[in-house]
Amino acid sequence: MEAKFLMGGEKSLYVQLGDEISLDVNQKVRGLMHNLETDPIEGVVEMVPTYAALLIHYRPEKILYDQLVEEVKKRMADAGKADEASQIVKVVPICYDKEFALDLEDCAKFENVSVEEFIRMHSEHEYYVYMLGFAPGHAYMARFEEPFHFKRRESPRVKINGGSIVVGENLSNLIPFDQPCGWNVVAATPLKVCDYTKEDPFLAHAGDWVKYQPVSRKEYDQIKADVERGTYKVETYAKKAVK
Amino acid sequence: MGIVVENPGIQTTVQDEGRFGYQQYGVSPAGPMDTKSFFLANILVGNKRGESALEMTFMGPTLKFEKDNIIAVTGANVSPTVNNEPIPMYQAVLVHAGDTVAFGVATGGARAYIAFAGGLDVPVVMGSKATLMRNKIGGVEGRKLEKGDAIGFVNPKTSLPKMEMRKLEPEKFPQKEVTLRVVTGPQDTAFSEEEVRKFFWYSATITNEFDRMGCRLEREEPLHHIKDGNTISDGIVFGSIQVPTNGQPIIMLADRQTTGGYTKIGTVISVDLPKLAQSVPGYKVHFVRVGIQLAQELYLRQQKELKNLERCLGQRG
Repeated sequence: MEAKFLMGGEKSLYVQLGDEISLDVNQKVRGLMHNLETDPIEGVVEMVPTYAALLIHYRPEKILYDQLVEEVKKRMADAGKADEASQIVKVVPICYDKEFALDLEDCAKFENVSVEEFIRMHSEHEYYVYMLGFAPGHAYMARFEEPFHFKRRESPRVKINGGSIVVGENLSNLIPFDQPCGWNVVAATPLKVCDYTKEDPFLAHAGDWVKYQPVSRKEYDQIKADVERGTYKVETYAKKAVK
Repeated sequence: MGIVVENPGIQTTVQDEGRFGYQQYGVSPAGPMDTKSFFLANILVGNKRGESALEMTFMGPTLKFEKDNIIAVTGANVSPTVNNEPIPMYQAVLVHAGDTVAFGVATGGARAYIAFAGGLDVPVVMGSKATLMRNKIGGVEGRKLEKGDAIGFVNPKTSLPKMEMRKLEPEKFPQKEVTLRVVTGPQDTAFSEEEVRKFFWYSATITNEFDRMGCRLEREEPLHHIKDGNTISDGIVFGSIQVPTNGQPIIMLADRQTTGGYTKIGTVISVDLPKLAQSVPGYKVHFVRVGIQLAQELYLRQQKELKNLERCLGQRG
């Protein structure tokens, strides 16, 4: 699809780079953002990457709409792939204990697999962080293997806990804070998905990869204590090959 | 301390220009609902436009001053008083330690601002002092003010240059009917041209669901999409007009979510957003289509006016 330039009022420009949710389209979004970060356009103040579009906030005092579109087109001509940092996989411990996994059994039943098999399907593959949105640090993540088939819950829960891991089809999101939610909850992480007191408050960034590491309830409590003490360090490894 | 809150009012929060640079992580910018009134209050007391100040909604707080400082109140008329004596809106006023500043019910608008020379001493979170209540970030413990809260001044003043010039004609906000100019997009093509025309032709009414996050409107005849009201989630801006499948528009405001999956038919231009921020449920809203050139021209003109005012008062934005 040819890139589309769409207006978000007089101070924001949407560059739409595709009309589907796919790694390929999202990597184009990351690539353009990377180019605009390394070779900035004067007047651009903030960028918000999403599945298939990059939202560019700018100051008309510095650059007008037509000029901005021209400048962005130039950056697109040599748009590379995503930045190096996106090839990092962050290991996120998660616990499937009954206390957290409100919908685990129902979901496994729907998929017609044992709970153990469901956990394997859910935790064996790496997830790609398409974007952050809805709440601070809320990561929209997808894997590309063995998608589930169940839909969202018919009646959303009024509150699920921060730290919950929710699933739907091939998606599995990190929930930073208590919130209402219509997705199925299958686990919880002892890590803080968002911690304002840290210099980098966000566990996952758009373009990162995440690997869920199943842990026992005992390990969950131990990690949580380490996180509270500030002694826990998130494990990372280099992504092998981008599909 | 600078001020102690004796009565918090209905919803009084610390705001600054907004928390920018973190929308890519899902953090809403917050900031003032009526940016123009907010900027004017700060300029009048010699601050940078985006300095921290208080936003009050419908009914203002009662504040006990523990230090001298210069204040200015802008926005809706909230009948400010110092020790029960009326003081003018839109004017820099010196308040002394021991004085009580109180406000009445807002008339002619919904929101007002009180700026303090030198700004307010609250923690900076992710580069900003703005309160985002939904996520408990910024301001005083991430919430609206409560009785007994004490907030310090950063750099209070007892005098400012050109004090006699620090007053403005109070702004008059539209009553009952509000006209908002709109740049179409990014998803205007989710509607037929006929439906887009209807969006501009027929007015809508502001419902009770109107807060810092957004303003839900009700149209007699809902808008129809070619397909439905869903789109691949993308970014949301201040003034984005979302139209979900039910065809009833929602205008996204200061505490908007950063991303969303509803089709956006257009964006209210920024110079018109204060009119909406000063509206109340029941008001009629008319939308008028403008092109990007005019929208940018109007924005630049407003920037110039603010800059001229700052220059007149011998300060820099």
